[in-house]
Amino acid sequence: MDYKIDQGGDALKVYISGVLTFDDHERFKSVVKAISDSASATAEIDLTETKMIDSAGIGMLLLANDRAKKAGKDVRLTGASGHVLKVIQLSKVDEIIPVAS
Amino acid sequence: MVAQPAHTPAPAPVDSDNARILVVDDLRSSRMLIGSVLKSAGFSNIDYAGDGIEALERFEAHEPDIILLDIVMPRMDGFEVSHAIRNRFKSDVPILVQSGVQEAEQRVRAFDMGATDLVSKPINAGELISRLRLHIERRRLIARLQRYQKRMEEELHSAEGMQMSLMKEGPEVDAITQPRQARMETFYRPSYKLGGDLWDVFEIDEHRFGVLMVDLSGHGVSAAINAFRLHMLAERSEADATDPGQWLARLSDELYEILPIEHFATAFYGVFDTRDLSLTFAGAGAPTPVLRRANGNVEHLDASGLIMGCRSNGHYENQRLMLQPGDRLCLYSDALYENFDTPDGALSVEELSALIVATMEADAVDGFTIDLIKRVFGSVPDSFPDDLTILMLEVLPA
Repeated sequence: MDYKIDQGGDALKVYISGVLTFDDHERFKSVVKAISDSASATAEIDLTETKMIDSAGIGMLLLANDRAKKAGKDVRLTGASGHVLKVIQLSKVDEIIPVAS
Repeated sequence: MVAQPAHTPAPAPVDSDNARILVVDDLRSSRMLIGSVLKSAGFSNIDYAGDGIEALERFEAHEPDIILLDIVMPRMDGFEVSHAIRNRFKSDVPILVQSGVQEAEQRVRAFDMGATDLVSKPINAGELISRLRLHIERRRLIARLQRYQKRMEEELHSAEGMQMSLMKEGPEVDAITQPRQARMETFYRPSYKLGGDLWDVFEIDEHRFGVLMVDLSGHGVSAAINAFRLHMLAERSEADATDPGQWLARLSDELYEILPIEHFATAFYGVFDTRDLSLTFAGAGAPTPVLRRANGNVEHLDASGLIMGCRSNGHYENQRLMLQPGDRLCLYSDALYENFDTPDGALSVEELSALIVATMEADAVDGFTIDLIKRVFGSVPDSFPDDLTILMLEVLPA
Protein backbone atom coordinates (compact mmCIF):
# COMPACT_ATOMS: atom_id res chain seq x y z
CA MET A 1 0.00 0.00 0.00
CA ASP A 2 1.07 3.57 -0.71
CA TYR A 3 -0.74 6.66 0.33
CA LYS A 4 -0.79 10.33 -0.49
CA ILE A 5 -2.33 13.01 1.66
CA ASP A 6 -3.78 16.18 0.16
CA GLN A 7 -4.80 18.92 2.56
CA GLY A 8 -5.63 21.36 -0.26
CA GLY A 9 -9.42 21.68 -0.27
CA ASP A 10 -12.15 21.75 2.35
CA ALA A 11 -11.75 18.07 3.08
CA LEU A 12 -8.58 16.18 3.83
CA LYS A 13 -8.03 13.69 1.04
CA VAL A 14 -6.15 10.45 1.51
CA TYR A 15 -5.36 8.44 -1.61
CA ILE A 16 -4.66 4.78 -0.97
CA SER A 17 -3.07 2.76 -3.76
CA GLY A 18 -2.12 -0.89 -4.17
CA VAL A 19 -3.23 -3.65 -1.83
CA LEU A 20 -4.39 -2.80 1.70
CA THR A 21 -3.64 -5.75 3.99
CA PHE A 22 -2.42 -6.76 7.41
CA ASP A 23 1.15 -5.92 6.35
CA ASP A 24 0.23 -2.24 6.13
CA HIS A 25 -0.84 -2.06 9.75
CA GLU A 26 2.10 0.10 10.89
CA ARG A 27 2.08 2.44 7.89
CA PHE A 28 -1.64 3.01 8.15
CA LYS A 29 -1.20 4.44 11.64
CA SER A 30 0.14 7.62 10.05
CA VAL A 31 -3.00 7.86 7.92
CA VAL A 32 -5.15 7.50 11.03
CA LYS A 33 -3.10 10.17 12.77
CA ALA A 34 -3.21 12.55 9.79
CA ILE A 35 -7.00 12.29 9.75
CA SER A 36 -7.48 12.88 13.46
CA ASP A 37 -4.90 15.72 13.53
CA SER A 38 -6.26 17.43 10.43
CA ALA A 39 -7.91 20.85 10.65
CA SER A 40 -10.68 19.74 8.25
CA ALA A 41 -13.94 18.42 9.64
CA THR A 42 -14.17 15.87 6.83
CA ALA A 43 -11.71 13.30 5.58
CA GLU A 44 -12.16 11.52 2.30
CA ILE A 45 -10.40 8.20 1.82
CA ASP A 46 -10.05 7.71 -1.91
CA LEU A 47 -9.89 4.04 -2.90
CA THR A 48 -9.79 4.54 -6.66
CA GLU A 49 -6.30 3.09 -6.88
CA THR A 50 -6.83 0.42 -4.21
CA LYS A 51 -6.75 -2.95 -5.92
CA MET A 52 -7.61 -5.31 -3.08
CA ILE A 53 -8.43 -5.13 0.60
CA ASP A 54 -8.40 -7.89 3.21
CA SER A 55 -10.21 -8.09 6.53
CA ALA A 56 -7.33 -6.36 8.31
CA GLY A 57 -7.58 -3.58 5.70
CA ILE A 58 -11.28 -3.14 6.44
CA GLY A 59 -10.30 -3.09 10.11
CA MET A 60 -7.93 -0.19 9.43
CA LEU A 61 -10.71 1.80 7.74
CA LEU A 62 -12.93 1.13 10.76
CA LEU A 63 -10.16 2.32 13.05
CA ALA A 64 -9.60 5.51 11.02
CA ASN A 65 -13.34 6.19 11.12
CA ASP A 66 -13.51 5.59 14.86
CA ARG A 67 -10.57 7.87 15.65
CA ALA A 68 -11.97 10.57 13.38
CA LYS A 69 -15.39 10.35 15.06
CA LYS A 70 -13.75 10.72 18.44
CA ALA A 71 -12.01 13.86 17.15
CA GLY A 72 -15.38 15.19 15.95
CA LYS A 73 -14.78 14.54 12.25
CA ASP A 74 -16.47 12.62 9.48
CA VAL A 75 -14.85 10.10 7.19
CA ARG A 76 -16.20 8.95 3.88
CA LEU A 77 -14.94 6.41 1.38
CA THR A 78 -14.82 7.22 -2.32
CA GLY A 79 -13.83 5.63 -5.58
CA ALA A 80 -14.05 1.97 -4.58
CA SER A 81 -14.35 -0.45 -7.47
CA GLY A 82 -13.70 -4.08 -8.31
CA HIS A 83 -12.63 -6.27 -5.39
CA VAL A 84 -12.73 -3.41 -2.88
CA LEU A 85 -16.27 -2.46 -3.85
CA LYS A 86 -17.40 -6.09 -3.56
CA VAL A 87 -15.90 -6.40 -0.09
CA ILE A 88 -17.65 -3.19 0.97
CA GLN A 89 -20.97 -4.40 -0.43
CA LEU A 90 -20.62 -7.85 1.12
CA SER A 91 -19.62 -6.54 4.54
CA LYS A 92 -22.05 -3.59 4.51
CA VAL A 93 -19.30 -1.38 5.87
CA ASP A 94 -21.28 1.50 4.36
CA GLU A 95 -23.63 1.18 7.34
CA ILE A 96 -20.71 2.38 9.46
CA ILE A 97 -18.59 4.54 7.15
CA PRO A 98 -20.47 6.54 4.50
CA VAL A 99 -19.51 5.54 0.97
CA ALA A 100 -19.76 8.15 -1.77
CA SER A 101 -19.48 7.22 -5.40
CA MET B 1 15.94 -34.26 36.55
CA VAL B 2 18.22 -34.23 39.57
CA ALA B 3 17.50 -31.31 41.86
CA GLN B 4 20.45 -28.98 42.12
CA PRO B 5 21.29 -27.56 45.52
CA ALA B 6 20.39 -23.91 45.58
CA HIS B 7 23.42 -21.69 45.53
CA THR B 8 24.31 -18.20 44.59
CA PRO B 9 27.39 -18.00 42.37
CA ALA B 10 29.99 -15.43 43.30
CA PRO B 11 29.77 -12.42 41.03
CA ALA B 12 31.98 -13.08 38.02
CA PRO B 13 34.60 -10.60 36.87
CA VAL B 14 33.20 -8.45 34.10
CA ASP B 15 35.38 -9.98 31.42
CA SER B 16 35.16 -13.63 32.49
CA ASP B 17 33.81 -15.98 29.85
CA ASN B 18 33.42 -19.74 30.08
CA ALA B 19 32.94 -20.28 26.34
CA ARG B 20 34.81 -23.44 25.39
CA ILE B 21 37.60 -22.57 22.98
CA LEU B 22 39.59 -25.21 21.07
CA VAL B 23 43.02 -23.94 20.07
CA VAL B 24 44.59 -25.97 17.26
CA ASP B 25 48.25 -25.27 16.45
CA ASP B 26 51.19 -27.59 15.88
CA LEU B 27 53.64 -25.30 17.63
CA ARG B 28 53.60 -25.65 21.37
CA SER B 29 54.96 -22.10 21.76
CA SER B 30 52.05 -20.73 19.65
CA ARG B 31 49.51 -22.65 21.71
CA MET B 32 50.99 -21.29 24.92
CA LEU B 33 51.04 -17.75 23.56
CA ILE B 34 47.43 -17.94 22.41
CA GLY B 35 46.42 -19.59 25.71
CA SER B 36 47.91 -16.80 27.74
CA VAL B 37 46.26 -14.13 25.56
CA LEU B 38 42.90 -15.86 26.02
CA LYS B 39 43.35 -16.27 29.78
CA SER B 40 44.30 -12.67 30.27
CA ALA B 41 41.16 -11.68 28.38
CA GLY B 42 39.08 -13.69 30.86
CA PHE B 43 38.54 -16.95 28.93
CA SER B 44 38.90 -19.87 31.30
CA ASN B 45 37.68 -22.88 29.34
CA ILE B 46 40.43 -23.62 26.83
CA ASP B 47 41.26 -26.91 25.14
CA TYR B 48 44.30 -27.60 22.93
CA ALA B 49 45.17 -29.84 19.99
CA GLY B 50 48.58 -30.20 18.32
CA ASP B 51 47.45 -31.31 14.86
CA GLY B 52 44.34 -31.98 12.72
CA ILE B 53 43.73 -35.55 13.89
CA GLU B 54 43.95 -34.53 17.50
CA ALA B 55 41.69 -31.56 16.80
CA LEU B 56 38.91 -33.83 15.52
CA GLU B 57 39.38 -36.15 18.52
CA ARG B 58 39.06 -33.21 20.90
CA PHE B 59 36.06 -31.94 18.91
CA GLU B 60 34.30 -35.29 19.12
CA ALA B 61 35.02 -35.72 22.82
CA HIS B 62 33.54 -32.34 23.66
CA GLU B 63 32.20 -29.92 21.07
CA PRO B 64 33.68 -26.48 21.65
CA ASP B 65 31.83 -23.17 21.29
CA ILE B 66 34.47 -21.89 18.89
CA ILE B 67 37.66 -23.17 17.20
CA LEU B 68 40.85 -21.27 16.56
CA LEU B 69 42.52 -23.19 13.78
CA ASP B 70 45.99 -23.15 12.23
CA ILE B 71 46.31 -24.20 8.59
CA VAL B 72 49.71 -25.81 8.15
CA MET B 73 50.02 -28.81 10.45
CA PRO B 74 51.43 -32.37 10.23
CA ARG B 75 49.12 -35.43 9.69
CA MET B 76 46.02 -33.35 8.83
CA ASP B 77 45.91 -29.68 7.91
CA GLY B 78 43.41 -27.03 8.92
CA PHE B 79 41.48 -27.20 5.63
CA GLU B 80 40.69 -30.87 6.19
CA VAL B 81 39.72 -30.25 9.82
CA SER B 82 37.37 -27.49 8.80
CA HIS B 83 35.87 -29.60 6.02
CA ALA B 84 35.36 -32.58 8.36
CA ILE B 85 33.66 -30.46 11.01
CA ARG B 86 31.21 -29.04 8.51
CA ASN B 87 30.56 -32.19 6.48
CA ARG B 88 31.19 -35.17 8.71
CA PHE B 89 30.06 -33.68 12.02
CA LYS B 90 27.51 -31.30 10.48
CA SER B 91 28.46 -28.70 13.03
CA ASP B 92 28.03 -24.96 12.58
CA VAL B 93 30.53 -24.11 15.33
CA PRO B 94 32.40 -20.91 14.41
CA ILE B 95 35.89 -21.68 13.03
CA LEU B 96 38.45 -18.88 13.07
CA VAL B 97 41.37 -19.67 10.79
CA GLN B 98 44.79 -18.21 11.44
CA SER B 99 46.28 -17.07 8.18
CA GLY B 100 49.04 -14.74 7.03
CA VAL B 101 47.85 -11.54 5.38
CA GLN B 102 49.86 -12.19 2.22
CA GLU B 103 48.43 -15.65 1.59
CA ALA B 104 45.43 -14.59 -0.47
CA GLU B 105 44.70 -17.97 -2.04
CA GLN B 106 44.87 -19.72 1.29
CA ARG B 107 42.43 -17.22 2.77
CA VAL B 108 39.89 -17.80 0.03
CA ARG B 109 40.27 -21.57 0.30
CA ALA B 110 39.74 -21.38 4.07
CA PHE B 111 36.26 -19.95 3.52
CA ASP B 112 35.53 -22.57 0.86
CA MET B 113 36.38 -25.27 3.37
CA GLY B 114 33.98 -23.87 5.96
CA ALA B 115 35.89 -21.22 7.91
CA THR B 116 33.70 -18.60 9.59
CA ASP B 117 36.32 -15.87 9.73
CA LEU B 118 40.07 -15.25 9.59
CA VAL B 119 42.49 -13.95 12.19
CA SER B 120 45.92 -12.76 11.20
CA LYS B 121 48.98 -14.80 11.87
CA PRO B 122 51.21 -13.99 13.67
CA ILE B 123 48.58 -13.45 16.33
CA ASN B 124 47.55 -9.91 17.20
CA ALA B 125 46.10 -10.15 20.72
CA GLY B 126 43.58 -7.32 20.34
CA GLU B 127 42.22 -8.55 17.02
CA LEU B 128 42.06 -12.16 18.19
CA ILE B 129 40.02 -11.31 21.28
CA SER B 130 37.68 -8.96 19.40
CA ARG B 131 36.93 -11.52 16.73
CA LEU B 132 36.49 -14.34 19.25
CA ARG B 133 34.05 -12.31 21.29
CA LEU B 134 32.13 -11.27 18.18
CA HIS B 135 31.64 -14.84 17.01
CA ILE B 136 30.92 -16.24 20.47
CA GLU B 137 28.25 -13.57 21.00
CA ARG B 138 26.79 -14.20 17.58
CA ARG B 139 26.56 -17.92 18.30
CA ARG B 140 24.94 -17.32 21.66
CA LEU B 141 22.42 -15.00 20.06
CA ILE B 142 21.55 -17.59 17.43
CA ALA B 143 21.24 -20.30 20.10
CA ARG B 144 18.96 -18.05 22.12
CA LEU B 145 16.79 -17.33 19.09
CA GLN B 146 16.62 -21.01 18.24
CA ARG B 147 15.49 -21.86 21.77
CA TYR B 148 12.93 -19.09 21.63
CA GLN B 149 11.66 -20.22 18.23
CA LYS B 150 11.41 -23.82 19.39
CA ARG B 151 9.43 -22.81 22.44
CA MET B 152 7.07 -20.65 20.40
CA GLU B 153 6.57 -23.47 17.93
CA GLU B 154 5.75 -25.90 20.70
CA GLU B 155 3.29 -23.47 22.23
CA LEU B 156 1.65 -22.78 18.88
CA HIS B 157 1.46 -26.49 18.21
CA SER B 158 -0.35 -27.13 21.45
CA ALA B 159 -2.70 -24.18 20.82
CA GLU B 160 -3.32 -25.56 17.34
CA GLY B 161 -4.49 -28.82 18.90
CA MET B 162 -6.86 -26.89 21.15
CA GLN B 163 -8.27 -25.00 18.21
CA MET B 164 -8.70 -28.09 16.06
CA SER B 165 -10.66 -29.70 18.89
CA LEU B 166 -13.26 -26.91 18.62
CA MET B 167 -14.21 -28.31 15.24
CA LYS B 168 -16.15 -31.53 14.98
CA GLU B 169 -14.81 -34.66 13.34
CA GLY B 170 -16.58 -36.45 10.51
CA PRO B 171 -18.45 -39.03 12.65
CA GLU B 172 -19.70 -36.32 15.02
CA VAL B 173 -21.03 -34.33 12.07
CA ASP B 174 -22.62 -37.45 10.58
CA ALA B 175 -24.33 -38.21 13.88
CA ILE B 176 -26.08 -34.85 13.65
CA THR B 177 -26.83 -34.64 9.92
CA GLN B 178 -27.58 -38.24 8.86
CA PRO B 179 -30.70 -38.66 11.02
CA ARG B 180 -31.88 -35.33 9.59
CA GLN B 181 -31.78 -36.25 5.92
CA ALA B 182 -28.51 -34.51 5.14
CA ARG B 183 -24.81 -35.05 5.00
CA MET B 184 -21.90 -32.67 5.23
CA GLU B 185 -18.28 -32.57 4.14
CA THR B 186 -15.93 -30.18 5.88
CA PHE B 187 -12.43 -28.81 5.45
CA TYR B 188 -10.51 -26.44 7.71
CA ARG B 189 -6.86 -25.45 7.49
CA PRO B 190 -5.31 -22.42 9.23
CA SER B 191 -2.69 -20.51 7.23
CA TYR B 192 -0.15 -20.95 10.00
CA LYS B 193 -0.99 -23.27 12.91
CA LEU B 194 -3.57 -20.91 14.39
CA GLY B 195 -6.36 -19.35 12.41
CA GLY B 196 -9.39 -17.15 12.66
CA ASP B 197 -11.86 -19.38 10.86
CA LEU B 198 -14.40 -21.37 12.80
CA TRP B 199 -17.24 -23.63 11.78
CA ASP B 200 -19.76 -25.69 13.69
CA VAL B 201 -22.70 -27.98 13.09
CA PHE B 202 -25.03 -28.56 16.02
CA GLU B 203 -28.41 -30.08 16.69
CA ILE B 204 -31.29 -27.81 17.59
CA ASP B 205 -34.08 -30.37 17.97
CA GLU B 206 -35.05 -33.68 16.41
CA HIS B 207 -35.88 -32.01 13.09
CA ARG B 208 -33.33 -29.24 12.84
CA PHE B 209 -29.62 -28.58 12.96
CA GLY B 210 -27.59 -25.40 12.65
CA VAL B 211 -24.62 -24.73 10.38
CA LEU B 212 -22.29 -21.91 11.35
CA MET B 213 -19.27 -20.60 9.51
CA VAL B 214 -17.28 -17.67 10.86
CA ASP B 215 -14.18 -15.82 9.72
CA LEU B 216 -12.55 -13.53 12.26
CA SER B 217 -10.67 -10.56 10.80
CA GLY B 218 -6.93 -10.86 10.47
CA HIS B 219 -5.19 -14.15 10.94
CA GLY B 220 -2.72 -15.79 13.27
CA VAL B 221 -2.77 -15.65 17.05
CA SER B 222 -5.03 -12.63 17.57
CA ALA B 223 -7.64 -13.97 15.15
CA ALA B 224 -7.43 -17.37 16.87
CA ILE B 225 -7.98 -15.85 20.30
CA ASN B 226 -11.04 -14.06 18.93
CA ALA B 227 -12.22 -17.35 17.40
CA PHE B 228 -12.02 -18.99 20.85
CA ARG B 229 -13.99 -16.12 22.37
CA LEU B 230 -16.61 -16.30 19.66
CA HIS B 231 -16.91 -20.05 20.03
CA MET B 232 -17.60 -19.62 23.71
CA LEU B 233 -20.15 -16.87 23.12
CA ALA B 234 -21.90 -19.00 20.48
CA GLU B 235 -22.05 -22.03 22.75
CA ARG B 236 -23.48 -20.04 25.64
CA SER B 237 -25.79 -17.94 23.53
CA GLU B 238 -29.27 -17.60 24.95
CA ALA B 239 -30.63 -16.26 21.68
CA ASP B 240 -33.12 -18.34 19.70
CA ALA B 241 -30.96 -20.66 17.60
CA THR B 242 -33.88 -21.30 15.22
CA ASP B 243 -33.88 -17.62 14.20
CA PRO B 244 -30.56 -17.03 12.38
CA GLY B 245 -30.97 -13.26 12.00
CA GLN B 246 -31.70 -12.73 15.64
CA TRP B 247 -29.03 -15.21 16.66
CA LEU B 248 -26.33 -13.38 14.65
CA ALA B 249 -27.54 -9.99 15.91
CA ARG B 250 -27.13 -11.18 19.49
CA LEU B 251 -23.69 -12.60 18.78
CA SER B 252 -22.67 -9.38 17.06
CA ASP B 253 -23.75 -7.33 20.07
CA GLU B 254 -21.68 -9.52 22.34
CA LEU B 255 -18.66 -9.30 20.05
CA TYR B 256 -19.04 -5.52 19.87
CA GLU B 257 -18.47 -5.38 23.61
CA ILE B 258 -15.26 -7.39 23.59
CA LEU B 259 -13.54 -6.82 20.25
CA PRO B 260 -11.26 -3.86 19.52
CA ILE B 261 -12.63 -1.42 16.91
CA GLU B 262 -10.57 -2.84 14.06
CA HIS B 263 -11.57 -6.46 14.66
CA PHE B 264 -14.77 -8.07 13.45
CA ALA B 265 -16.18 -11.32 12.10
CA THR B 266 -18.01 -12.38 8.99
CA ALA B 267 -20.53 -15.20 9.35
CA PHE B 268 -23.08 -17.44 7.74
CA TYR B 269 -25.60 -19.14 9.96
CA GLY B 270 -28.27 -21.45 8.60
CA VAL B 271 -30.86 -23.79 10.11
CA PHE B 272 -31.86 -26.85 8.13
CA ASP B 273 -35.31 -28.27 8.87
CA THR B 274 -36.13 -31.82 7.71
CA ARG B 275 -39.86 -31.30 8.01
CA ASP B 276 -40.03 -29.13 4.89
CA LEU B 277 -36.39 -29.39 3.71
CA SER B 278 -35.95 -25.66 4.25
CA LEU B 279 -32.82 -23.74 5.02
CA THR B 280 -33.37 -20.52 6.94
CA PHE B 281 -30.22 -18.46 7.00
CA ALA B 282 -28.70 -15.06 7.60
CA GLY B 283 -25.39 -13.65 6.46
CA ALA B 284 -22.96 -11.20 8.00
CA GLY B 285 -20.60 -10.46 5.13
CA ALA B 286 -19.83 -14.08 4.29
CA PRO B 287 -18.63 -15.06 0.81
CA THR B 288 -21.45 -15.94 -1.60
CA PRO B 289 -22.67 -19.51 -0.96
CA VAL B 290 -23.17 -21.55 -4.12
CA LEU B 291 -26.17 -23.86 -4.44
CA ARG B 292 -26.40 -26.50 -7.14
CA ARG B 293 -29.89 -27.89 -7.44
CA ALA B 294 -30.41 -31.58 -8.11
CA ASN B 295 -31.80 -30.55 -11.52
CA GLY B 296 -28.55 -28.75 -12.41
CA ASN B 297 -29.68 -25.19 -11.79
CA VAL B 298 -27.17 -23.02 -9.97
CA GLU B 299 -28.07 -20.30 -7.49
CA HIS B 300 -25.89 -17.81 -5.62
CA LEU B 301 -27.14 -17.02 -2.15
CA ASP B 302 -26.84 -13.57 -0.65
CA ALA B 303 -24.84 -13.80 2.58
CA SER B 304 -23.94 -10.13 2.66
CA GLY B 305 -24.71 -8.27 5.85
CA LEU B 306 -23.04 -5.99 8.34
CA ILE B 307 -19.87 -7.61 9.63
CA MET B 308 -20.31 -8.65 13.26
CA GLY B 309 -18.84 -6.80 16.21
CA CYS B 310 -18.77 -3.32 14.64
CA ARG B 311 -21.73 -1.80 16.40
CA SER B 312 -24.68 -2.71 18.56
CA ASN B 313 -28.21 -3.43 17.34
CA GLY B 314 -27.21 -4.48 13.87
CA HIS B 315 -29.98 -6.06 11.83
CA TYR B 316 -29.59 -9.38 10.07
CA GLU B 317 -32.25 -10.43 7.60
CA ASN B 318 -33.52 -14.01 7.56
CA GLN B 319 -33.87 -15.69 4.19
CA ARG B 320 -35.63 -18.95 3.52
CA LEU B 321 -34.65 -21.44 0.89
CA MET B 322 -36.61 -24.55 -0.08
CA LEU B 323 -34.38 -27.50 -0.86
CA GLN B 324 -34.84 -30.92 -2.40
CA PRO B 325 -32.96 -34.20 -2.15
CA GLY B 326 -29.79 -33.96 -4.24
CA ASP B 327 -29.41 -30.20 -3.78
CA ARG B 328 -25.90 -29.30 -2.71
CA LEU B 329 -24.78 -26.11 -1.01
CA CYS B 330 -21.16 -24.99 -0.75
CA LEU B 331 -19.94 -22.49 1.85
CA TYR B 332 -16.34 -21.30 1.91
CA SER B 333 -14.06 -18.67 3.37
CA ASP B 334 -12.46 -15.95 1.24
CA ALA B 335 -9.09 -17.73 1.07
CA LEU B 336 -10.62 -19.92 -1.63
CA TYR B 337 -10.82 -17.10 -4.19
CA GLU B 338 -8.71 -14.18 -2.94
CA ASN B 339 -5.10 -13.91 -4.04
CA PHE B 340 -3.21 -11.02 -2.50
CA ASP B 341 0.10 -11.92 -4.10
CA THR B 342 -1.35 -11.47 -7.57
CA PRO B 343 -4.48 -9.32 -7.14
CA ASP B 344 -5.45 -9.84 -10.77
CA GLY B 345 -5.41 -13.62 -10.22
CA ALA B 346 -8.29 -13.56 -7.75
CA LEU B 347 -11.39 -15.52 -8.81
CA SER B 348 -14.73 -13.82 -9.35
CA VAL B 349 -17.85 -15.34 -7.81
CA GLU B 350 -18.83 -16.61 -11.27
CA GLU B 351 -15.45 -18.25 -11.87
CA LEU B 352 -15.38 -19.88 -8.45
CA SER B 353 -18.99 -20.94 -8.76
CA ALA B 354 -18.19 -22.68 -12.07
CA LEU B 355 -15.37 -24.61 -10.34
CA ILE B 356 -17.64 -25.57 -7.45
CA VAL B 357 -20.35 -26.81 -9.78
CA ALA B 358 -17.85 -28.71 -11.95
CA THR B 359 -16.50 -30.40 -8.82
CA MET B 360 -20.00 -31.36 -7.73
CA GLU B 361 -20.76 -32.78 -11.16
CA ALA B 362 -17.54 -34.76 -11.49
CA ASP B 363 -17.07 -38.17 -9.90
CA ALA B 364 -15.64 -37.66 -6.41
CA VAL B 365 -12.00 -38.69 -6.12
CA ASP B 366 -10.86 -37.56 -2.67
CA GLY B 367 -14.18 -36.15 -1.55
CA PHE B 368 -15.75 -32.85 -2.51
CA THR B 369 -13.62 -30.45 -0.48
CA ILE B 370 -10.25 -31.87 -1.55
CA ASP B 371 -11.40 -32.20 -5.15
CA LEU B 372 -12.47 -28.56 -5.10
CA ILE B 373 -9.14 -27.41 -3.62
CA LYS B 374 -7.31 -29.29 -6.37
CA ARG B 375 -9.50 -27.68 -9.00
CA VAL B 376 -8.90 -24.18 -7.58
CA PHE B 377 -5.21 -24.41 -6.63
CA GLY B 378 -4.06 -27.15 -9.01
CA SER B 379 -3.05 -29.36 -6.07
CA VAL B 380 -3.45 -29.36 -2.30
CA PRO B 381 -0.91 -26.73 -1.17
CA ASP B 382 1.20 -27.35 1.94
CA SER B 383 0.00 -24.04 3.25
CA PHE B 384 -2.64 -21.53 2.28
CA PRO B 385 -2.10 -17.76 2.30
CA ASP B 386 -5.08 -17.36 4.62
CA ASP B 387 -7.25 -19.62 6.77
CA LEU B 388 -9.42 -21.81 4.57
CA THR B 389 -12.76 -23.38 5.44
CA ILE B 390 -15.04 -25.25 3.06
CA LEU B 391 -18.39 -26.76 4.05
CA MET B 392 -20.66 -28.73 1.75
CA LEU B 393 -24.21 -29.62 2.70
CA GLU B 394 -26.19 -32.13 0.67
CA VAL B 395 -29.85 -32.98 1.11
CA LEU B 396 -30.38 -36.76 1.06
CA PRO B 397 -33.38 -38.72 -0.23
CA ALA B 398 -36.02 -39.33 2.42
